[in-house]
Amino acid sequence: MAKISIDPITRLEGHGKIEIFLDADGAVANAYLQIPELRGFEKFCEGRPVEEMPRIVPRICGVCPGAHHMASAKTTDSVYHVDPPPAAKKLRELFYCAHMIHSHIACFYALSAPDFVLGPMSDPAQRNILGVVGKVGLQVGGEVIKHRAYAQQIQATIGGKATHPVCGIPGGMSKAINEEERKEFEEKAKSLVNFAQDSLKLFNDVVLSNKEYLNLITGDVYTMKSYYMGMVDAKNKVNFYDGDLRLVDSDGKEVVKFKAAQYLDYIAEHTEPWSYMKFPFLKKVGWKGFVEGKDSGVYRVSPLARLNASDGMATPQAQEAYDKMYQTLGGKPVHATMAFHWARLIELLYAAERLLELCRDKEITSPDVRTIPTATPDEGIGVVEAPRGVLIHHYKTDSNGIIQKVNMIVASAHNYPAMNISIKKAAQSLIKRGQPASEGLLNMVEMAFRAYDPCMGCATHTLPGQMPLEVLIRNEQGEIIQKLSRT
Amino acid sequence: MSVNKLKTLVLGLGNPILSDDSAGCRVAMVLQEKLHLPDVDIREASIAGLDFLDTLTGYDRTIIIDAIQTGQGTPGQIYRFGPEILAHTRHASTPHDVNLATALELGKKLKLELPREITIFAIEAEDVTSFSEECGPGVKRAIPQCVEMVIRELQIAS
Repeated sequence: MAKISIDPITRLEGHGKIEIFLDADGAVANAYLQIPELRGFEKFCEGRPVEEMPRIVPRICGVCPGAHHMASAKTTDSVYHVDPPPAAKKLRELFYCAHMIHSHIACFYALSAPDFVLGPMSDPAQRNILGVVGKVGLQVGGEVIKHRAYAQQIQATIGGKATHPVCGIPGGMSKAINEEERKEFEEKAKSLVNFAQDSLKLFNDVVLSNKEYLNLITGDVYTMKSYYMGMVDAKNKVNFYDGDLRLVDSDGKEVVKFKAAQYLDYIAEHTEPWSYMKFPFLKKVGWKGFVEGKDSGVYRVSPLARLNASDGMATPQAQEAYDKMYQTLGGKPVHATMAFHWARLIELLYAAERLLELCRDKEITSPDVRTIPTATPDEGIGVVEAPRGVLIHHYKTDSNGIIQKVNMIVASAHNYPAMNISIKKAAQSLIKRGQPASEGLLNMVEMAFRAYDPCMGCATHTLPGQMPLEVLIRNEQGEIIQKLSRT
Repeated sequence: MSVNKLKTLVLGLGNPILSDDSAGCRVAMVLQEKLHLPDVDIREASIAGLDFLDTLTGYDRTIIIDAIQTGQGTPGQIYRFGPEILAHTRHASTPHDVNLATALELGKKLKLELPREITIFAIEAEDVTSFSEECGPGVKRAIPQCVEMVIRELQIAS
């Protein structure tokens, strides 16, 4: 097929864009996802003291500020060669579980549920959280808001501020929690475990027991075979805050397990003339284009990638849910992109259970939450699992701790090649030659993209959240024949 | 209830390190220095979607200040809108979550105590894609003007 170059005028208008190109017969020849670019984040950071970074990076992203804060705090530990005391690590993890809970609840109920509870082809005016609440009941809606607020309150107490935490500093945390706060967290955590179980039950009742939806999840349209990367603890269980990065192939076999500091040995970046954003791939497999399978260096990160890359969950109820998912979907690994939503709920349960464990840990109220750094700062790498997948920060400083260089690979960047493949595959399966695509069909193409819940803002270092998405269909001559906008 | 007992939240939205995107935040920061009224809380935040529900609950009235890109105005132009504009300003809409209008409707259904009166001041932004702690000249000039507009709005209402 002839290479399609996209008119530069269409490249960037502050919109995320899916462009679908049809061939002479009106069938889908190609599809691209394009993302607007933001400028100057590295430059903004250069010349600033490295300890400011954990307070600056949450401003990159309105969606996962907690993830950037934690990755940054860990990176400053690494820059100063300092190991935080055990209580500080536990407190960071507790905060981080609350962050995951907060993000996963919003993502499931506001973003995933409308397509599944109401149906992908349902009236777009109804296909939102209001429609979901209308269908599952006001009581559920109230629980969603309440539990989201619980997670937010825990983050605010530890983080100092609700949305832009200031607690993580090189060597630990700026303050400990007291017994009163611990008790309050414990009560909330208990309630969150129940809420997570209820959410899984809702998913079971509304989605899994509907054969049509189950077919949609497991069908070819949304299936993509790839490598998966996720962080695991010493027993290869999923961990959000700390551990090694484990990579499995499309058969689920471990390829390698490595420390965050070695990421450049495993990940390289490919560029395309039509995109400002780069395409990460596995160095040892190589870039083979936008193709799936074991010979292609395309890999995925995400809730499902974490489950695929692990041997299980470290808490009992989440482990049960994990087993059920793999039993239902035919064993490990699962390649169904729509199962990202299910995996997200299993992780919600894990995060709540782990939160409760940490609230009951004897050390959690210890005042010993910081090791004062004494070494000369130079370079550091830190990693956490952001709600959407692996998040890597890498800073270089001079001997005074002044930033010289910053590099980040965010979850949506890791997934950028895979998102393009998923979108193309969905478009090719759903859009039939010669027939105009309905809003519902285009929504189903968008679902392939939405499963990743991409944080484009962060991937291009912009503040996300305000990015409208457009789906454009172009004919063989490149003329726009159909347009769907979403604000 | 007498009108001046209304509890008001003035909420400036934006990213303080993203050039003109910070417009709303900056107006709120100036107001925080300038105004000290018993029934008016002033906050700046980078929030969106469902987080609005936590922020707005318990207030009778809110004045939101945000950046906007209509593409037709000159940078720094200030608009005053009712809630119908909520889906179009920069921080009140989000593909990751629900927009403010939807969040408010949900809040209403769930019988949360949300503001009955919403006024939005939106400042036309030019550069919202460069990281900088400085706004462009147009938005910079607009900030003190918008501050005065919010103060007048508060006086009219109270």
